[in-house]
Amino acid sequence: MIPAVAMAHPVRRVSTPTLARVFLRSLFLQAAWNPRGMQNLGFADAITPALRELYPEPAECAKALARHLEFFNCHPYLAAAILGGAVHLEERVAGGQAPPEVVSSFKRALGPPFAALGDGFFWLAIRPAAALLAAATEPFLGLGCVFVFLALYNAVHLPARVWLFATGYARGEGVVDAVRRAHLASGTALLKACGAALAGALAARGVLAAGFPDRPFHALLIASTMVLAWAILPRLGPTRAVYGGLLLGLALGARFV
Amino acid sequence: MLPLPAGGAPQLFFLAAVAALIGGLSAIERKGAFQLMLSRPIVLAPILGWGMGDAQGGLLLGIPLELLFLGGVNLGGSLPDNESLLAAAMTAAVIPAGLAARTGVDAPLAAVGLALLLPLAFFGRRLERASEARNTELMEEALERAAAGDPDAARVNLRGLLLPFGAAAGICAICVLVSPVLAFVRLKCRPAELSALEGAWHAVWAVAAACAIRAIRDPRAPALAAICAATVVAITLAIRGLS
Repeated sequence: MIPAVAMAHPVRRVSTPTLARVFLRSLFLQAAWNPRGMQNLGFADAITPALRELYPEPAECAKALARHLEFFNCHPYLAAAILGGAVHLEERVAGGQAPPEVVSSFKRALGPPFAALGDGFFWLAIRPAAALLAAATEPFLGLGCVFVFLALYNAVHLPARVWLFATGYARGEGVVDAVRRAHLASGTALLKACGAALAGALAARGVLAAGFPDRPFHALLIASTMVLAWAILPRLGPTRAVYGGLLLGLALGARFV
Repeated sequence: MLPLPAGGAPQLFFLAAVAALIGGLSAIERKGAFQLMLSRPIVLAPILGWGMGDAQGGLLLGIPLELLFLGGVNLGGSLPDNESLLAAAMTAAVIPAGLAARTGVDAPLAAVGLALLLPLAFFGRRLERASEARNTELMEEALERAAAGDPDAARVNLRGLLLPFGAAAGICAICVLVSPVLAFVRLKCRPAELSALEGAWHAVWAVAAACAIRAIRDPRAPALAAICAATVVAITLAIRGLS
């Protein structure tokens, strides 16, 4: 039996080509990142094709657009799930099955936790691990290490982004459960451990490069510089540490030959 | 007379155009579009180097820069130093300098380039703040247009890419055009000075490795890194001892 509300407002669906356009536009989510609305403009721009299809009347569409111009911030990749979910909910709003406020509440509720999840996994785990692996393989692969980095990172990033968008669209609020089951947090710890080991390998490479063929004292100096830099980095910051390193290296390097 | 790459001034201007295009695109890829990590130093420097005729030289610059800025993360409203602008500008200056000096990219040239251009990472962050302020104006424009009933009000989003593109492109072009000065400095270095600069580059590697370990924000990271480093050194020494 069809509910009375659904009969009064037939369900409106966004077509697949339009969904593809929404996804492609989501790749420009941070094009106009601003301190007041953060990713609001990017989000509104991405969802515009879906809104135009759901609200053929321009004034109605502009009204729907205005609610997506409110503050929004998330990790740029995880935001795909929220965008997909927002399209799903907009279909319900356009069909009269949900009030417009449900879309804003959905975005507000998921933005911060998804941002934390994405930052931890993509920015603080997989990106450093992929970059360190690429740097560690450079002596063996040469320029091929660049492809190692891009392939490793994007083999995870791009499918994740597509999956998040598709899952968000298919499940609406249910995307939370799907993301929870993806176990991103447990992968983070493993990637960080791999990253630490690779960073150690790179440190060894720096020491060996300075010390060989017959310069053990130089190797010791470089190793000491590494430990010193590691210890004072939080206070000094990378820029001053680099200048400090350059000066120290100049002083020591004058006797390197 | 300043040294120029083979092909003279026209070639220098061609390289400036290449650097401007790749540097500008990297600036928008970094945050505004795609984020496929093409603008990370380890990728950008070899690509730009390839565009200017020395991909290997670009890689020599890109790896330490990647490690130095590995921990820089854009969380919420915080901005890290702009590693992409530094990588693009440094590659744009050092590669043509190496071509002009006929030395290629070597440690002394890289050390001088880094010492001169490192402040660009900080400047890039200021530039990003300015770009964000401009984006706030775009947002206000979109709000007004939406209130007036324009369903395409949010299309102004893409205009946010113009300022980062233009600024990075201009900086990269300038870096190429001043690269003959860098080549001149490189050619005037005496052996003792070259040795000192080589030592400086080794020290940069040391700081970069320390930054990379710090970038793994995990309490176990230093111990794991130390164990791994000791193992690699021991295995290498054993292999060399046997051979």
